[in-house]
Amino acid sequence: MSYSVHLTTIDNEVIYTKDDNTRSCIGVDPEFQAWLRANKDSLPNDIQAKIDAGELTIEDAD
Amino acid sequence: MALGTVGTTQISNEVFQANRNIVRNGAMEVHQRGGTITAAAGNYCLDRFQIWDNGDGGFDVSQSTTAPAGFKNSLKVDVTSADTSIASDAYKLLYYRMEGVDAVGLNAGTSDAVTVTISFYVRSNVTGNHSFGIRNDNADRAYFALYNISAADTWERKSITIPFVTTGTWPTTTAGCMSLIFSFASGSDFVVTSNNAWESANKIQAANAVNLFSSASNDWYMTGLQMEIGEVATPFERERYDTTLVKCQRYYYKVEHSYGSIDIGAGLETTTTQARIFVPFPVEMRSHATAVETSSTAGNFDITHNNSVLISNAVPTYSNANRTGASVFFAHASGGTAGQGCTGRLRVAGTYLAWKAEV
Repeated sequence: MSYSVHLTTIDNEVIYTKDDNTRSCIGVDPEFQAWLRANKDSLPNDIQAKIDAGELTIEDAD
Repeated sequence: MALGTVGTTQISNEVFQANRNIVRNGAMEVHQRGGTITAAAGNYCLDRFQIWDNGDGGFDVSQSTTAPAGFKNSLKVDVTSADTSIASDAYKLLYYRMEGVDAVGLNAGTSDAVTVTISFYVRSNVTGNHSFGIRNDNADRAYFALYNISAADTWERKSITIPFVTTGTWPTTTAGCMSLIFSFASGSDFVVTSNNAWESANKIQAANAVNLFSSASNDWYMTGLQMEIGEVATPFERERYDTTLVKCQRYYYKVEHSYGSIDIGAGLETTTTQARIFVPFPVEMRSHATAVETSSTAGNFDITHNNSVLISNAVPTYSNANRTGASVFFAHASGGTAGQGCTGRLRVAGTYLAWKAEV
């Protein structure tokens, strides 16, 4: 299971989609954040690029 | 002969104190997600209930029609693989995580803290002492107790009375406040030192509980979960299905195909290949959704515009949301006209969109 960058909205919100087509979300989505934390060392290039650009942050777990 | 005065003797307990059950979906009738849910870290199953699984062994949760007299459904835990040697950090849990607004009146963490009684119907092939308790969301206050299943595969009603602790953090906002926890097999790291007492630590299981995961043939059913202020368990407070559904839709809303190709919202074509459709929620959700869940077949969605249909070439995706509704992007290969009005539709059975605002 993985995510990819889907599009950027007119409000400059980046939308991410799950590769099995069952969900899409914004960067702060808790389930997406949990996936980011679990895969932070091997993220897809497009998502890693968002992090490197400061457009996406991996939040600490609760 | 008409009664001159209707007093408490003419009104049954079930009618007399309406809205006394703090638990939503206690009769296990609402299961919007549907199907059998395999336990993992925080998967939601029947509405408002969450399952956690760490360590060896596994389990599924489903909505069952095995139920005690007067009930239609129960929540079934089906052990699919055993764990006969429970690691210290293992846990197998069923959670009911309560929003703070539902805890107003309990005064937990204050000198005015009340006593509550939790009651439920339960059955299992595993007899003996099982674990139930409460932990606050800060995970630094926990109270766990045992309830005994005396006969195998037989419905029994249990009640546990808990005086709330006068210390600790217990939000009464839209944040999480506490969890009601049924623990089936948790390791020593999470077992309380003493049952029937508050402990200032992250604990999730009573001491000396049986191991439900002793065999892959084991199962456990529960329904009629009620939490009420007071020291006695009153009869389960019944409510209509639609009332319970609306209560649950504060946390999860699923719009699905039920008959014909039906419009679920109106919107605007933003480009020749994309439309943005607004879907109103039937009830204000706890918080704004940050994702949309979908059935996975793109061609089962479409938009109608200008008296024609544009079938989707990708599943709808999240655009934005607030607590009263959400917008989703519908995509199609071509044929749209930017600025034109349109509606989004679900074309066939099994097609859905869903939004989550769980605690």
